[in-house]
Amino acid sequence: MKLVIDESRCKGCNLCVLVCPYGIFREGTELNSRGIVSPVLDRPERCTNCRLQALYGRMLCGICHMICPDQAISWVEEKPFEPHRVEVEF
Amino acid sequence: MIAPDWLREDRLPHIYCTGCGNGTVINCTLAAVEEMGWKRDETVFVSGIGCSSRAPGYILTDSLHTTHGRALAFATGVKMARPEFNVVVFTGDGDLAAIGGNHFIHACRRNVDMTVVCMNNHIYGMTGGQGSPTTPPGAISTTTPYGMSEPAFDLAELAVAAGANYVARWTSYHVKELTKAITAGMRTPGFAFIEARTQCPTNYGRHNKLRTVPAMIEHIRSHAMLIEKRDRLVREGRPVPEDIFTIGELVRRNRPAMGVRR
Ligand SMILES: Cc1ncc(C[n+]2csc(CCOP(=O)(O)OP(=O)(O)O)c2C)c(N)n1
Ligand code: SF4
Ligand code: SF4
Ligand code: SF4
Ligand SMILES: [Mg+2]
Repeated sequence: MKLVIDESRCKGCNLCVLVCPYGIFREGTELNSRGIVSPVLDRPERCTNCRLQALYGRMLCGICHMICPDQAISWVEEKPFEPHRVEVEF
Repeated sequence: MIAPDWLREDRLPHIYCTGCGNGTVINCTLAAVEEMGWKRDETVFVSGIGCSSRAPGYILTDSLHTTHGRALAFATGVKMARPEFNVVVFTGDGDLAAIGGNHFIHACRRNVDMTVVCMNNHIYGMTGGQGSPTTPPGAISTTTPYGMSEPAFDLAELAVAAGANYVARWTSYHVKELTKAITAGMRTPGFAFIEARTQCPTNYGRHNKLRTVPAMIEHIRSHAMLIEKRDRLVREGRPVPEDIFTIGELVRRNRPAMGVRR
């Protein structure tokens, strides 16, 4: 699962920054097109729910999702990672 | 997103200010409703007037957005006419304890079967920050520019004294506990009152040296004390700080209730 912030809803209150035990949300610095500074995600793959929701079949932790007053945080399905060859041209 | 089946997504983002605690309390209430497995067409949300009272407008069920202070009177009417409905009331401290104070104590006394969630932000948020009956002593509001000089109501204790079957208090920081308390209130037949202390950064925080949303939430969190801890301090004869408020379940009992589904 992949953690996403819906920027059309987020109002930049930074409550998610306060509550995440992994410090995945960081205060943002740049205004988006709505004039709001949304938090940025720091290695969101560390989130308990990203890693284990599929295994347990239910929401894990989810504190950011509950406290976000603007219903802006959610998880989306992600295709499994497929290893692929990377060619570097010189 | 919490409870997508219950939220009117087309109405989002809602009108609440950045970091307003009301949005969090809506999340917790809808998570509790999902936990209960209620049907949408058997659930009614009722509210009065205020920022908090706008909550039913974002929920996909039939609802009554009534006059200031009268949510409980309308909700009692709904419950008497249709006892099979699940009735949930959203209200604010001004709506419930000031203009609606009488409805509050009598709905508790009658023990009408409904769940009341009060978003207590200690202020009249919607009308620009006037003091309410829960504004703490010393707090600055537009009607108390030198600091509130009157004592405040303890809404949860008031509900216990007036006879409600279930009473709990949490905050918009304690999201899991708040959700559990609302669920327990919904399960208890009779009047369930859940007070959620919330932040109003715009009209309370700005006037009381709590300029950012995290500062406001931190203030609420650090002044909340579990009832068990307060009782332990009292038992041990140790001092209880004066500026704290208690959180937890105050009462769960089985007084005769009105309007319980047959
Ligand atoms: C009969 C009547 N009196 C006064 C008002 C003005 N009024 C609107 S909202 C409000 C206070 C709401 O305070 P609260 O219930 O705490 O809600 P909040 O906005 O803080 O969530 C008042 C006094 C009104 N709408 N109707
Ligand atoms: S809690 Fe929600 S609204 Fe607030 S900054 Fe985080 S994503 Fe945005
Ligand atoms: S679910 Fe928990 S761990 Fe994952 S981002 Fe939210 S707060 Fe952090
Ligand atoms: S005025 Fe206060 S209670 Fe009303 S929406 Fe703004 S922050 Fe919330
Ligand atoms: Mg209020």
